[in-house]
Amino acid sequence: MLATIFTKSVRDRWRGVAIAVVVIGGMLVFGMEVYSGIDLSVYTDLPEALRSLVGIDEGTDAAGLAYGAMYATYGALTIGSLALSIGAGSVAGEERDGTIGLLLANPVGRRRFVMEKLGALVATIAAASLALWLAGILAPVAVGADVAGRHVGALVVHMFAISVFFGMLAAAIGGWTGRRPLASGTTAFVMVASFVAVGVLPLIEGWGDLARAFPWHYYAGSDPIATGVDWGDLGVLGGGSAVLAVLTVVGVERRDLGGGEVRVRLTERLRSNALAGRVLDRLEGSARVSHIWVKTLSDHQTLVIVVGYIVVFFGIVLGPMYLSIDDALRDFMEQVPEAVLAMVGYADMGTPEGWYQTENFSLTIPIALVVVTAVMGANAMAGEEADRTMGLLVANPVSRRRIVLEKAAAMVAATVLLGLFVFVGTMIGSLVAGLDMNAVNVAATSALAVLLALVFGGLALAIGGATGRRGAAVAVTSGAALALYIVNAFFPLNESIAWIASWTPFHYYLSADPLNNGMPWGHAAILAGLFAGLVAAAVAFFTRRDLRQTD
Amino acid sequence: METAIRTEGLTKHYGDVRALVDLDLEVRTGEIFGFLGPNGAGKTTTIRVFLDEIRPTAGRASILGMDSRADSVAIRRRVGYVPGDLALYPKLTGRELLTYFANLRGGVDWSVVDGLADRLDSDLSRHIGDLSSGNRQKVGLIQAFMNEPDLLIMDEPSSGLDPLIQREFQAMMREVAAEGRTVFLSSHTLSEVQRVADRVGIIRHGELVAVEAVSSLRSKAMRRIEFEFAEPVTAEAFAAVDGVRDLVVENHRVSLAYDGKIDTLLTTVAGRYEVVDIATHEADLEEIFLTYYEEP
Repeated sequence: MLATIFTKSVRDRWRGVAIAVVVIGGMLVFGMEVYSGIDLSVYTDLPEALRSLVGIDEGTDAAGLAYGAMYATYGALTIGSLALSIGAGSVAGEERDGTIGLLLANPVGRRRFVMEKLGALVATIAAASLALWLAGILAPVAVGADVAGRHVGALVVHMFAISVFFGMLAAAIGGWTGRRPLASGTTAFVMVASFVAVGVLPLIEGWGDLARAFPWHYYAGSDPIATGVDWGDLGVLGGGSAVLAVLTVVGVERRDLGGGEVRVRLTERLRSNALAGRVLDRLEGSARVSHIWVKTLSDHQTLVIVVGYIVVFFGIVLGPMYLSIDDALRDFMEQVPEAVLAMVGYADMGTPEGWYQTENFSLTIPIALVVVTAVMGANAMAGEEADRTMGLLVANPVSRRRIVLEKAAAMVAATVLLGLFVFVGTMIGSLVAGLDMNAVNVAATSALAVLLALVFGGLALAIGGATGRRGAAVAVTSGAALALYIVNAFFPLNESIAWIASWTPFHYYLSADPLNNGMPWGHAAILAGLFAGLVAAAVAFFTRRDLRQTD
Repeated sequence: METAIRTEGLTKHYGDVRALVDLDLEVRTGEIFGFLGPNGAGKTTTIRVFLDEIRPTAGRASILGMDSRADSVAIRRRVGYVPGDLALYPKLTGRELLTYFANLRGGVDWSVVDGLADRLDSDLSRHIGDLSSGNRQKVGLIQAFMNEPDLLIMDEPSSGLDPLIQREFQAMMREVAAEGRTVFLSSHTLSEVQRVADRVGIIRHGELVAVEAVSSLRSKAMRRIEFEFAEPVTAEAFAAVDGVRDLVVENHRVSLAYDGKIDTLLTTVAGRYEVVDIATHEADLEEIFLTYYEEP
């Protein structure tokens, strides 16, 4: 597997692919089990408008629902994330690791280097898609579901195309800038934003066509699971990927390669101006290194600010959007029994609270906040060990317990700040649109989101503290978050296994409907207790073991 | 006077790998102790136990009279440390990094820092990520020396430093010892240790093979000598000289290892043949190990 750049790049990624496929495939089987245990007439009896809104076609069945939820959404987001992380790492990752110089000291041209990297990206995603296709065929056989008329193959082909597109986008940004965090961050933002936009825009009268501006439209817009492959849409994604691939080659050819050095921050560039320098000095002072927790916070400053912008942005725009929702839809939604809505996974969008819960609090906010806490938790100990700075840090007269607690404190500070952003954004959206939402309840919901994110941050902290492996901490935490989210969203549909949902942290986040009912203090206490327990575990693990020497 | 470092039966296993075996070591206060050994001998493992980065499988280490595990925070308040594989926060400038560690130690005398930076010719205003490895190493040295610790533990500290800076660094170590403070210097280069150390511990395969005064080590120090003669020579003339080893004769070139008096060799040779060229260099550590500390 070390014969070429291509094979080595595939080899570096096979584990991530295997984990993703096993998780999604497993979830598909779960989903089919859940759906086959319930009376589907609640779905099929829904009026046409609502069914099309939630993506359920007439005469749906367990297999159709499971494919739609597990594959079309979570599957595509997961494989897309995998692709963008491979893409961002292809060129920029080797630069960050400082290995690109050695690699290109071999008689390999830059063009061939990039082509092999991109080839590996396509091959890896193809392998993942193939495995998902097989899982999609085998799962219904395993649970005895009828999948006649479902084009799982077509869905997987579309999924492959959209994933490769996001991978190429990340590769192109990385190829032009050599900055991996920029490449993966921007692409992840484009992916999530386009996923949300394609879901929301068609709900608004006259805005439906805007969805065509987003890549996700060419993946899901034609509903490939029901209608089969849409060659036109695939052409758009394929053409876009090809253009991005060419751009990547051009970008890498034309610039100086980085050798693992750190780029000058924007603030440092501003400093060269005397006036701006003085202002910055006053703002920053020497505070960034005054304590371990302060330095940790400042290390993640950019991430927190970017995610902060995103949550404020979503909070604000959703207010006016609510006013623009098709009135007919709203009237209709008001007549749908709440029990039915809960089963579809939607809150009553006829009220501002239901709208915000569906479009903001149920998925976007947890993803945004958990990304921050998972990264901070994984970086806390495991990150410093991987960067080999932990040896010097613990050579100072600070106990390991204090290191863990200060890093956890930084995580709490960052998440509370983001919770504040969530609150402020939502309140502005409510004020601008005159929705008159209860500020105390919005604050309570934001606080619950903070606590939920801290639970997963605590998990990453504990895994990093126990193993010293950043990759393991990130992978286990995001895998657990995804799996628990799905369990919480879908298990309640089947009465015999509904109780399992109450074992997930997500249950204690929104199940009490805090936007309408205010703070469920008991639930908040459970989440806070979980976080405290995980931090205590992190301390216990980290103080007892040998530090890792190398990554 | 308290002993700076004392280990008793210090042992560390990584699974089946025995990284340290029953190490009994004593470093006196106020001395520069060289810790010599080839790569993979267990030098870094020993140091990481001292700093409580890793915990011994058996035995104990006492640093400045305190237990390496129970009193680790108190120990580190009085210890300066340069890790072997130095990694610093690339996004910070040198000064920011030193501020960070100074804060963790409850302050530092900045005139000392500036003095060190001057001596080592280190630019603390630049980002560490932009520095060459030698200049990074200087920042590493400054953070170890800046608190004027009672004990300096340094793992291959002069890697990447140019000869001028190395000389300055050696002077800094001597000053520390002159003030009654202690230096524990791990290295695989004999010449560096010889230049500054009072005593030397030699470690091999995780076991302490010998502890010697540098003066006695120096008398053992071998040289490798290469002669070029005007005419072809025979091996016998050289083999007869006491202290000659590894003799290779190729026509009119001779290469040998020698640990006797240089004068003896020269008189023997010069009387017999016309010497065209002579080159001599210090035998490397491996050679000394092979000669003196071969496993039984």
